[in-house]
Amino acid sequence: MLALQLFINGLVTGSALGIVAISFSLVFSTAKIFHVAHAGVYTMAGYLAWSLVRYGVPSPLTLVIVVVLCAGAGALIEWQLYDRLKQRRATDLVILIASIGLLAVMQNSISAIYTPNILQFPLPWASQVVAFGGIRLSWAEILTVAFSLSAYATTMWFANHTNLGKRIRAVASNPFLAEITRLEPRSVYVYVIAIASALVALPGVMVPLDFGLQPYGGLTPLLTATIAMIAGGVGSLHGAYVVAVAIAVMQNLCLLFIPGEWSVGITFFIFVFFMLFRPTGLFSTAR
Amino acid sequence: MSIYLEAVGLEKSFGGLKAMNDCSFTIDQGRITCLVGPNGAGKTTIFNAITGFLKPDQGHVTFKGESLDGLSPQAIVDKGIARTFQNLRLFAELTTLDNVMIGLGGQVGEEPFGAIYRPFHTARAQAAKKRAALETLEHVGLADKASEYVRNLSYGEQKLLTVARVLATGAELLLLDEPASGLSHGALDGIMTLLRRLQDEGKTLLVVEHNTRVVQRIADDVLFLHQGHLMARGTPAEITSDPKLAEIYFGGVI
Amino acid sequence: MDFYFSYIVLAEIYVLLGLSTNLLVGIIGIFSVSQAAVFGVGAYIVAAFLMSGTLGFIPAMIVAFICCVILNILLALPSLRVSGDYFVVTSFGIQLLATAVFINWTAGTGGANGLPGIPPPEILGHTVGEAWEFLVLVTVATGLGCLAFGLILRAPFGRLLKAIREDELAVAAAGKNVLRAKVSAAALAGGFAGSAGGLYATFMSFIDPVSFDLDASILLLTMVVVGGARTLAGSIVGPFVLLALPHVLMLIDIPTTIAASMRQLIYGLLLIAFMLFRPQGLVGEKL
Repeated sequence: MLALQLFINGLVTGSALGIVAISFSLVFSTAKIFHVAHAGVYTMAGYLAWSLVRYGVPSPLTLVIVVVLCAGAGALIEWQLYDRLKQRRATDLVILIASIGLLAVMQNSISAIYTPNILQFPLPWASQVVAFGGIRLSWAEILTVAFSLSAYATTMWFANHTNLGKRIRAVASNPFLAEITRLEPRSVYVYVIAIASALVALPGVMVPLDFGLQPYGGLTPLLTATIAMIAGGVGSLHGAYVVAVAIAVMQNLCLLFIPGEWSVGITFFIFVFFMLFRPTGLFSTAR
Repeated sequence: MSIYLEAVGLEKSFGGLKAMNDCSFTIDQGRITCLVGPNGAGKTTIFNAITGFLKPDQGHVTFKGESLDGLSPQAIVDKGIARTFQNLRLFAELTTLDNVMIGLGGQVGEEPFGAIYRPFHTARAQAAKKRAALETLEHVGLADKASEYVRNLSYGEQKLLTVARVLATGAELLLLDEPASGLSHGALDGIMTLLRRLQDEGKTLLVVEHNTRVVQRIADDVLFLHQGHLMARGTPAEITSDPKLAEIYFGGVI
Repeated sequence: MDFYFSYIVLAEIYVLLGLSTNLLVGIIGIFSVSQAAVFGVGAYIVAAFLMSGTLGFIPAMIVAFICCVILNILLALPSLRVSGDYFVVTSFGIQLLATAVFINWTAGTGGANGLPGIPPPEILGHTVGEAWEFLVLVTVATGLGCLAFGLILRAPFGRLLKAIREDELAVAAAGKNVLRAKVSAAALAGGFAGSAGGLYATFMSFIDPVSFDLDASILLLTMVVVGGARTLAGSIVGPFVLLALPHVLMLIDIPTTIAASMRQLIYGLLLIAFMLFRPQGLVGEKL
């Protein structure tokens, strides 16, 4: 049953894409930055994990180390780049260009160090397949879903039930007010990007377990995730996650009808169409 | 006398907040009408609704018998209504003269074709427009600051510039959003004299103002707005001496 | 000698192309990483006509010019309906989509292998074959482009665009049609990019999708940033400096395998550095 297999594959990819979407959304709705370099952190996570595994670090520990390193990288990016720019009263355009520059630096550093060729994880257990009910899933895919859903649930719990989470939501809804009360948005921004980078490390490691590592492979998922964020309504984490899954499923099912290279193009095409005729998104409570 | 500007049943909600609540009023031609009311009463919202920056949930506005519904801000300027902003919104990167010239209509070379293919014609036409803009600046008393950048003007001068900019559009109905707020005594007198002079020249003014002294000195009519609804209308004397309105405005008698 | 001619010709072509990005990003403030795509369309159109012998050089350039004007209008329209951030995704999407088309539409563009053997231009019966002849042609074309750009800046149109960049609403309140101004500027930018594409195709006599991909758009952005936004001088300095860079790099011993990555990495570093320390570029105005 090809369609069902494609559907399930779409759910798997979508669950990971959803994490990219909500992590990006966290940064965008809080710090109001279009953090393109997020794709660089995503890519970096995969390659760091690969190197650690190559040196014999056990997989669970690798994951933890990579998550921590990415959180650190995110914090560094906000602290040393975005914050500096904002202190100089840089426009959004300037910050965006700097982020693009950073992405170029990250991707091309990785390409120079690891070569532009596709790398596979030397983990045989990851590609072992489990079959049930006519569907085949590799352990990599199963883990992807497991980690993604857990991360999703944890993020929602965090946003609603912890002090930092509430602070983040407060800053997101009214940065100006946050500035003049004691919420200290600048340090909140550092936390937010650190958390977002930690989150995106998960799909950053999981997805290449399945598909392999590529230095330039981060931008397309990021843009797709951004489309999900916008279509789901900016500010709605649920919306971003759900639409991300929907897009991934749709892209996969499209493979029944059109060649692979075009399935991603369809998504962008639909998005451009969307922007022309319904820019506020599907769940148009957000602006 | 036919109705000049009429708003009927304007309604607008932002989330839970009702900014305009069955708001209806008329403005007479050639008079200076002041729009007063406590903060948040919806005065700027009305400006936005009249000038096309905001689409009311319900209700409509007509100007000289023509409906203004659904028109873009620039179309409304073409009809003869122009507004200033409470926070000025001048172009900081342009000179005083250029700020006025943005308001001047019918310019050659304001699109790429004319700019590229008829450079000499554009330059000549610009010289004529420049003279017109300088005249406007003289009118408000800013002619000597023509080549200054906006950041070098005093607050009072910047306010005069916002008036110059709307004058440049040639509009007959001017909506001025707090033209006198934050001004020193001298500048205050200057603005009030200017407004009266504009009226003498045939302009109609709708002015949002908080300063009761200004209202008393220049207004022919006063519209008192509260919670998005027109509560009262009368002469400045009538409105400022009404204890009920004073209570709403100040929380006590003047 | 030919080597220096080539460098200047290429630099001038990129000056003409850069005017397009400078107009969009610098002057109007529409973020665009898709000008390389329009550049490509211009190149492929002229190449197709010349190779099939259906049209001469000048008519082919005119067709390319018109097509790219229309294309840029269509591409700019989404940006005019939605706020800047959403258009970022659209612009990336358009560029990626265009690259996908260039690579996959083998019938039209020769696919990933590109189009070799593009004949040199014939103007009034004379074939432009020598490097110095090309220099004359491109200098004239680019000169015209710069003239147009300069006239725009000095005319009321330039002032209007400046005001729009600062405060669109205030411009609308002054009675000016903001949408028409932006669209006509975008149209002109399309013309610049398309013309540059036609010149590029005939000069290189071989084109492939790599010259028109996202990296190329980022190079364009870097040229505007380094040269300086919103000035004619910046549009000229940027390409000359950035195109000298690869030659300078060749003096350092960099293995060819990572040469391309290193170049892109340096562009990224330049973007970050200029945004942090010199947003006005070398001879431009602050972005």
